[in-house]
Amino acid sequence: MKNRMGFILEIIICFMLILPISGCWSRHELNSLSFVVGVGLDKAEKPGEIQLTTQVVKPGELKSASAKNKSSGSGGNGTNAYWNIKRTGYVASKIIRDFSHESSHRLYFPHNQVLIIERKLAEEGIQKYIDTFIRDNETRFNVLIVVSEDRANEVLDVSPELEKLPAINIAKLVETQNVTSESPTVRLIDFIRRLMNKTTAPIAPLIRVTSDGNEKTVEVFGTAVFKHDKLVGELNKRETRGLLWVINKVKGGMIDVAVPSGDGTVSLEIMRAKSKMTPVIQDDTILIKLDIKAEGIINSQSGSEDITSPVHVASLEKELSAEIRKEIIAALKTAKDLNSDIFGFGESIYWKYPSEWKKLKMKWDEVFPDIEVALNIDTTLRSTGNISAPAVPAKE
Amino acid sequence: MFRYIHSKLRFWQLANHNGADANHSGNSQSNLFDDLNKNLTALKGVFGNSYDVNMRGFNFGDQGVTRGAIVFLSGMTDTAIINENIIKPLMYDIRLSSKQETSPMNNMSIIQATLLTVGMVQKASTINEVVDGCLSGKTILLMDGSKDALVIGTEGWETRGVDEPKTESVVRGPREGFTENLLTNTTLLRRKIKNPNLTLETMKIGEQTKTTICVAYLKDLVPPQLIKEIQRRLQRIKTDAILESGYIEQFIEDAPFSIFSTVANSEKPDLVAAKILEGRAAIFVDGTPFVLTVPMVFMESFQSAEDYYSRPYFASVVRLLRTLAFFISITSPAIYVALTTFHQELIPTSLLFTMAASEEGVPFPAMAEALIMGTTFEILREAGVRLPRPIGQAVSIVGALVIGEAAVGAGIIGEPMVIVIALTAICSFVVPPQTDSGSILRLILVVLAGAMGGFGIALGLMGAFIHLASLRSFGTPYLSPFAPLSTQDLKDSFIRVPIWAMFARPRTIGWHDPQRQEFRLKPSHPSEEDKS
Repeated sequence: MKNRMGFILEIIICFMLILPISGCWSRHELNSLSFVVGVGLDKAEKPGEIQLTTQVVKPGELKSASAKNKSSGSGGNGTNAYWNIKRTGYVASKIIRDFSHESSHRLYFPHNQVLIIERKLAEEGIQKYIDTFIRDNETRFNVLIVVSEDRANEVLDVSPELEKLPAINIAKLVETQNVTSESPTVRLIDFIRRLMNKTTAPIAPLIRVTSDGNEKTVEVFGTAVFKHDKLVGELNKRETRGLLWVINKVKGGMIDVAVPSGDGTVSLEIMRAKSKMTPVIQDDTILIKLDIKAEGIINSQSGSEDITSPVHVASLEKELSAEIRKEIIAALKTAKDLNSDIFGFGESIYWKYPSEWKKLKMKWDEVFPDIEVALNIDTTLRSTGNISAPAVPAKE
Repeated sequence: MFRYIHSKLRFWQLANHNGADANHSGNSQSNLFDDLNKNLTALKGVFGNSYDVNMRGFNFGDQGVTRGAIVFLSGMTDTAIINENIIKPLMYDIRLSSKQETSPMNNMSIIQATLLTVGMVQKASTINEVVDGCLSGKTILLMDGSKDALVIGTEGWETRGVDEPKTESVVRGPREGFTENLLTNTTLLRRKIKNPNLTLETMKIGEQTKTTICVAYLKDLVPPQLIKEIQRRLQRIKTDAILESGYIEQFIEDAPFSIFSTVANSEKPDLVAAKILEGRAAIFVDGTPFVLTVPMVFMESFQSAEDYYSRPYFASVVRLLRTLAFFISITSPAIYVALTTFHQELIPTSLLFTMAASEEGVPFPAMAEALIMGTTFEILREAGVRLPRPIGQAVSIVGALVIGEAAVGAGIIGEPMVIVIALTAICSFVVPPQTDSGSILRLILVVLAGAMGGFGIALGLMGAFIHLASLRSFGTPYLSPFAPLSTQDLKDSFIRVPIWAMFARPRTIGWHDPQRQEFRLKPSHPSEEDKS
């Protein structure tokens, strides 16, 4: 009896000992972690070297820090709620580990919001730098990718007006772009998917620092166009929306059209948009059929003519279609000039004509500029807003 | 190990049992004498010099020559009955009546039949019976020259009135609650179920206390095996004292080492009646307002009497809320610990920053914080319950201020942890029957979460579920109606369907007579009623 009791006790003690042992495994208290919210990649002075900037949060300062701190500079002093740690090196993953020389807390990447790549670096190719952000188990695929005209560490040090953390500000800025659909929202997973596809070209929103006297702000403009992992060009805002029409990413935006009678302009807001891409291969010619459906409402009108009659609405719809067509054609032209398949035409052909694709894949660079696109744009005006006839002063 | 402890316990019990038997096999079974003085001496020997034992000798009969005595315990008897209905007829009324009829006064039967104007009179012939009767508030009539004694029902003692139960208050529904008096309690039940099938079987348990236990059930509803099993378990209790139904509960429960109780208790007659009507049996214990009902299923903890009195929509929502609250109360500190020490990536970014800001400078790991705060809360709760009400409130306020405000202000505990523990505390009171099991489960989960994170919580909950599924209460699976699944009984689980839709008694409990009511009882338009 005694023996059995002892045996059972031993087992219980063993089980209890397992508990603290496992505790060492991946356990980190909140106050031993530094949360990374933004990462910037810059070219360093030495060729081949990069400078990595990580923005970590100082949670204690978050509550007290004023949203705007003009005494910024190197960061980390004053009441900034963030600390930008910079290190240079050849390999991104090694730099990340090297941050432990400077930071007493372990850097924690899952809450990283944005990955900023300097344009100069992007032009040289970024594959070797972003590989670790995909491979590492702590970084997330949904981190936003942006390309910056200015140095990433400067962008990460522009104190925003509304947010306390520059990185969060940039992330929210990029995510808000669906109001205009003039800049894409690209996450790492989208970027990687395009990168790993042989023909589809990655894109990323472009940001830059604009200064108005002392006031520095970050703004989003246009799209960076890559060819493989190298930045080759950019699309302006209008062309960007043309691109987004094609890849079915338009969520909103304003389009101004002239009133048919010539009395002022009407601003139409896009409420709903949908596009469908169908490749057709016939006798070695490739035709991409694009069916685009858009719904809009009248948001403002500068003239005084009542445009609610069906005739007027129909002509406005026609104007809207024409405007969308122009945007898409502009985007197509730039993409063809850059010879960069940002629309994913190649991929759609692969899905529909896998056997033909095997041949096309090899000579896609030659084929792409000659691809013909047939646009079929169908627009509907849903409503005239809260009023129908325009608000005009009573005639005397 | 449990089996080992169990066998040890059984050994002790047997040893005690034998000893007790040896002590009691004295002269208790001996018969009464036909000499009054001898009887009184014998009784004096039994009772000793207790001040509440009254032995009043008197002469009675038409000649006033027959010697007799009554023995009773003051305080447990109603003196008005003794005076008016025992002594007065014997000493006074007897002289008014005709002499020839009442002359042979040495016959107890005649006294019983013609003189005593009391409802309950029994003959007794052994000292044991006399003593037992006396101890339960009866009056003993002894007479010179008779080997029999009369045990006359004169029970009457101070009782608390029927009051609103403190533990299970309701907004809608009967407000009466059981009292400490067994008779009052069974009466309250009988008034709910006016049915001759309602059987109230009594037995006395407790070598020293001789507490009356009463098993109540509806004869034609309850499975006979259940009653047999209850009686078997009750009869094997050979113990000193039964002071509360909790004693009985621990003697008869199926899983004595489980943190979950397999015997339900209630203070409300309507609730006990409802359970008896579902095919359960109730065990009343004299001296406590808490009545046990068996078998118990886990889902019972989430059901309240009021669920059935309020309309089904609200009742269902409240049931779901209770389930949610129970889940929160056992898991929230553990989830908090797991999230903050292992899975920081699962916390929304802005919330994480707020939490990190509060945890900044806190000297303890999250698990230690959770344990400290959890312990503090349990202590506060205990202090609030035990202390007299006015002081109890003071303790709560001081506790809330000191622990809540000062600890956070001093940076010893993070604010989110205080919030989590407060939420846990409130939620744990939503399901009163599982409050005790919940706090133990919570502690285990916190330790597991601190050691293994979310995996630990999953392990702990899985273990708890496996254990729950293995439990049985008097043959009924503890997790029924979910495991084994009985779709019909899901009508009264997390949701409650209207009363008219609950045709059947719970399948695992009321299977002896499954149908509760007619089908098609749904209120309908008169024209539709004609059709059917």
